Amino acid sequence: MDSVQKIYRLLLLIIIGGLAWNILPFLASIIGMLIFAFLFTTIFLQGVDRLERYTKSRGLGVFLILTSVISIGVVFFGSFVSNLGSQIKLFTQKLQKEDFALSLENLSGKIRDSLPDFLGNMIPEGDKMIVIAKNSLVNVFQSILTLIGSAGGFLFIAVMVLIFTIILLIEYHDFKRSLVRFIPNKYLEVGLRMIYNIEQQISKYLRGQILAASSVAVLSVIGLFILNQLGANITLIVFIGIIAGLANLIPMVGPFIGMIPAILIALMNNIGNDAALTHQLFGAVPSPFYILDIVLMFIIVQQIDNNFITPVLVGESVGLHPMAVMIVLLIGGTLIGPLGMLFAIPAAGVLKVVISEIVFVTKNSHLL
Amino acid sequence: MKALYKNFFRKKDNSNPVLQALGNIPIFENLTDSELNDVARLTHERTYKLDEHVFKKLAPAEGMYVIMNGAVKINDPDSGTTFASLESGDFFGELALLDEEPRSASAVATQPSTLIGFFRTDLLTLMKRSPELGNKILLNLSRVLGERLRRTNQELAKIN
Repeated sequence: MDSVQKIYRLLLLIIIGGLAWNILPFLASIIGMLIFAFLFTTIFLQGVDRLERYTKSRGLGVFLILTSVISIGVVFFGSFVSNLGSQIKLFTQKLQKEDFALSLENLSGKIRDSLPDFLGNMIPEGDKMIVIAKNSLVNVFQSILTLIGSAGGFLFIAVMVLIFTIILLIEYHDFKRSLVRFIPNKYLEVGLRMIYNIEQQISKYLRGQILAASSVAVLSVIGLFILNQLGANITLIVFIGIIAGLANLIPMVGPFIGMIPAILIALMNNIGNDAALTHQLFGAVPSPFYILDIVLMFIIVQQIDNNFITPVLVGESVGLHPMAVMIVLLIGGTLIGPLGMLFAIPAAGVLKVVISEIVFVTKNSHLL
Repeated sequence: MKALYKNFFRKKDNSNPVLQALGNIPIFENLTDSELNDVARLTHERTYKLDEHVFKKLAPAEGMYVIMNGAVKINDPDSGTTFASLESGDFFGELALLDEEPRSASAVATQPSTLIGFFRTDLLTLMKRSPELGNKILLNLSRVLGERLRRTNQELAKIN
């Protein structure tokens, strides 16, 4: 390649880069949908490939898998919403009762008495607590209304992601072949290896994460069930378990998100219950409303997950140093928020494969 | 009526050159038409210019090639030895379907050629999607390699 040609190529690259930079914001949502569709495809691809063996029709395999997943999702979400609705209704009724105001007054007083003065002054008085509780309830309802308001947009995105996923699942192998067509002969075998390694990296990571999330969900349900046997009076434990499992997909921050619904429901159910208020963890450490018990239970679940389940299921699937994982998470979180944290590690894993192949190609260019 | 008969009972379309080329090599022997179609859907058709390398000695090996048309020379660039001159219908590089060792020789197109690439990743995909078909191909591959080993042993016996 002569120098003029090199300059032209560089100019072309700069123009394409500039155009892409300007167009990207408009395409961001479509790219996001495609990324989600690709991730779902990776999750279900193996199942579809296996079903195709029996059904002899790829379309039918895709239909069966997606229909069952969507049905389970709808049933879960539907019963979660209705259960949460009745929970909130019960709590509102409680708030309106006179004795509830009294018990809040007592609670405020007891907490103030049990704490040193400088901390006790920070606890609001009973009537203020009712205002705070009512305000926070109003906030919860407002957030739910906003959520319903944005449901239209969400529905559109969900339908688009579903359509993309169906197309990708049915045509996956043909798409891959079309992609390979663009690889120059020189890089054909290295390119194929890179595509295969990327596929393996993502699917191993996702499947490992899903299995780890399921086990966290099951362990959390068991833990909450045990706490209930000790009198914690926590309802919706299956849903809390599933939320904890899903939250676990976000590394490091997830486990703490998982605790929140359990603590909130324990608070809602036990306000006005003196036994719950004076409960002590192991008979020694004060744990009002079983909050410390819940935190301890989730820490135990987390430890079991971190030390036994994840190493076995996810293992060295991504092969990143813990320090690198933290940095990558911070970058993902800063750039896109929680979703960024969710995708940071698999994205870094893919980047690692691409970089290692580029290094290989550069070192062994004489062989290609 | 004739048109209807022709439509329903017409002979299968064997004009697809990829299917023809694949069907004629021992690795895809005894495969039904639909199985051969499944394999063909995973293969990659590539064109090579005169003197273009298909692969170089010691390069990472990912799979085998079937020559659809054209000609390919298998040689050792270090010693200058040509091991084989292959033509349409021949195949090479099949050992790479089984192991990950680098190429033991170079392959160069001695004519403008069209090759069909069938790679290890394709075989792995096939084994997942249709283990029966994957096993058939592996068995055929083992037969080809066994035959080659037997011939090498005979050659060695002759030399000794």
